[in-house]
Amino acid sequence: MRLLIFVLATSLFASCGENETPLTEQEKFTRIYDNTKFNIAFQPIDVRQTPDGGYLILASRTLTESNFSGIYLMKVDAFGSFVSELEVDPTFVNPIGPLMEQNGTYFFFCMTAIGLQAQLMPVTPAGTLETPIAVNGVAYPAAAAADGNGFILLSYDNVNKESVVSVLNAGGSVTRSQGFSIGAGDAVEEPIINHFLRTGRIFPFQVGRIPGGSYYFNGFYNYTFSLVFTNLSGPDPQGVLQGQQDDGGINSITLLTGNRFALSRFNFGANFFLPGQNIATSGIASSSDLGGYPLPELVAQAPVKILRTFSGTTERVIYGSHTRSRQILLYSYDPAGAAFLRSKYLGFANPFEFANLTETREGGLAVVGTTYVAGRFPRICLFKIPSGEFTELIR
Amino acid sequence: MNRLSLLLLLICTSVLVAAQPPKRKPANGKQTVGNFLDQQWWIGLKGGLNLSQADPQKRFSAFSPTNYDFAELDKQYDDFNATGSQATLEITYYYKGFSFSFQPTYRHSRYTYNNSFNWYNPEQVDERLELTFDQTQRVTYADLPLLVKYDLLHNKIRPYVQVGVFYSILTGADRSINVSGTDYASGGVNSFTNEPLVVGTKDLFQSYWGLAGGVGVDYNLGNVRLVLDATYWRGMSNLTRSDSRYANDQLAGIGDVPDDLRLHNIIISAGVLFPTRFLSSSFKSLDR
Repeated sequence: MRLLIFVLATSLFASCGENETPLTEQEKFTRIYDNTKFNIAFQPIDVRQTPDGGYLILASRTLTESNFSGIYLMKVDAFGSFVSELEVDPTFVNPIGPLMEQNGTYFFFCMTAIGLQAQLMPVTPAGTLETPIAVNGVAYPAAAAADGNGFILLSYDNVNKESVVSVLNAGGSVTRSQGFSIGAGDAVEEPIINHFLRTGRIFPFQVGRIPGGSYYFNGFYNYTFSLVFTNLSGPDPQGVLQGQQDDGGINSITLLTGNRFALSRFNFGANFFLPGQNIATSGIASSSDLGGYPLPELVAQAPVKILRTFSGTTERVIYGSHTRSRQILLYSYDPAGAAFLRSKYLGFANPFEFANLTETREGGLAVVGTTYVAGRFPRICLFKIPSGEFTELIR
Repeated sequence: MNRLSLLLLLICTSVLVAAQPPKRKPANGKQTVGNFLDQQWWIGLKGGLNLSQADPQKRFSAFSPTNYDFAELDKQYDDFNATGSQATLEITYYYKGFSFSFQPTYRHSRYTYNNSFNWYNPEQVDERLELTFDQTQRVTYADLPLLVKYDLLHNKIRPYVQVGVFYSILTGADRSINVSGTDYASGGVNSFTNEPLVVGTKDLFQSYWGLAGGVGVDYNLGNVRLVLDATYWRGMSNLTRSDSRYANDQLAGIGDVPDDLRLHNIIISAGVLFPTRFLSSSFKSLDR
């Protein structure tokens, strides 16, 4: 009898210890992609989950042979572990996100280091680069977006001093293009060139289209960093949401429905979130009149990305940025009432900076950023937030 | 928690069942004394020190190296070099040379490890930084060991061997991290040590079970028994919670996440036991 009890107790002990769920290593992780090189720096631009469950990361890197940023591609597996990297030939510089998927291939834009000509760069899901496609007549690419099977590209024409919106087909050929004057004088151009050389402010250039309707770009127009709406039929926009020269304006915009947007704006160092904002696409208005929720914890002119998602069938938006204490911050809102839902902070100890975020096919969230390892070496970091935590964030 | 309640119930039941004296026919004087000597209940307190060994089963790091081997990130564990302490309540039922002992213990254990990192510029030898993270992990557990002892001798000094199983319930954990390094890039050899960082780590760990085996000696002193034993506790399940491995941003932020590991301990205890069955009203037990 005693022996039986002892055996029973032993069996029960054996059942008590482990609570292994192997999937969790894939569902949730933090990865810092370390490199022993003292003098190298990486700044991620975008992340996309590939069909194999892994991730493709586009980043810029420091170049000793050019004033422009070089291009860096990294492939990691579903657990976030490093698989391969590609330091793209430095004759190609200035990588522009996002990574846009078309028929199983990922595309991003960059330019040549010498001719400054825009290039469309195809990348396989394994992270290898295919033959670059020259975008004729376009220089200084600044922002891009997918548009059906093609692309929309915002660039800067330093000859005519214009912000240029180009529509490209899937093969990278320009089918429509329209320039918009930034204004006369070198003083207007200087911050734009400094942006490309990474010697001045990094401006939140953006371009997009209201489905079947107007195009819009966030860039310089008429001496001011503005959100401009256009049908590309002439040099005069349909509508302009003006900033304060280069001290105020929109730093991120995501279309919800119709003329309703989730956006954030900056104004002389302050940052404001506007989770559900109707914007007139015609006429002239000022972004500083929009108001919004102040976010004093964000760094000045914070980089902000906005992800539109759904909690069930209910629309949600997630704002990503980073704080003055150098943590990555995620805020979720219900855009219907512009109501705050929840926040989440990522990173501690080392400084962390936000770059971009994407939903994963497992129902979670992948957030890419920069961390300064040992407080000094800029390295790419990737956070995988599991579906449960993501659901809780937008609930 | 339900499993734990069931476990406690089972342990109590087993001890109580074991405590029931076998039914015997009535006997006369000398035979009665002999029967009385066959069994005894002991209860007492023990305390002592323990040493820990963290035994990694699978390595993890928040760092994913792009130009060096992952193995270079392996934590370097120090075996049995940091002392902990424990206090034990021992309840033992003795029967014909065998003892069945339940010894709930409050245990505080420590293990240490370090990680080292190196960044350098192969073209500029002075551009170099070396960092070492010395980490001390402290864990506290409520242990529920169930042991079977066998007395090798039946004299006043009674050496014994013991084997058993234990279940350890996590009650707390924290980590102390000392960062030191040498920066060769700042114009000289700049050796530095940062202020220690202490981080709560209870969420990273879990309860576990294991097997125990050891030796000891009892010494009957007067009406009490002095006990000294040394036991090796071998953890058989993972100490780390895999679902919260990356939950602590303070640690993941510096690249540290816990490995899958088992905890082994050498536990040395000394104490005193008191008999609970007495031959007469003068509190004399026969086992003297």
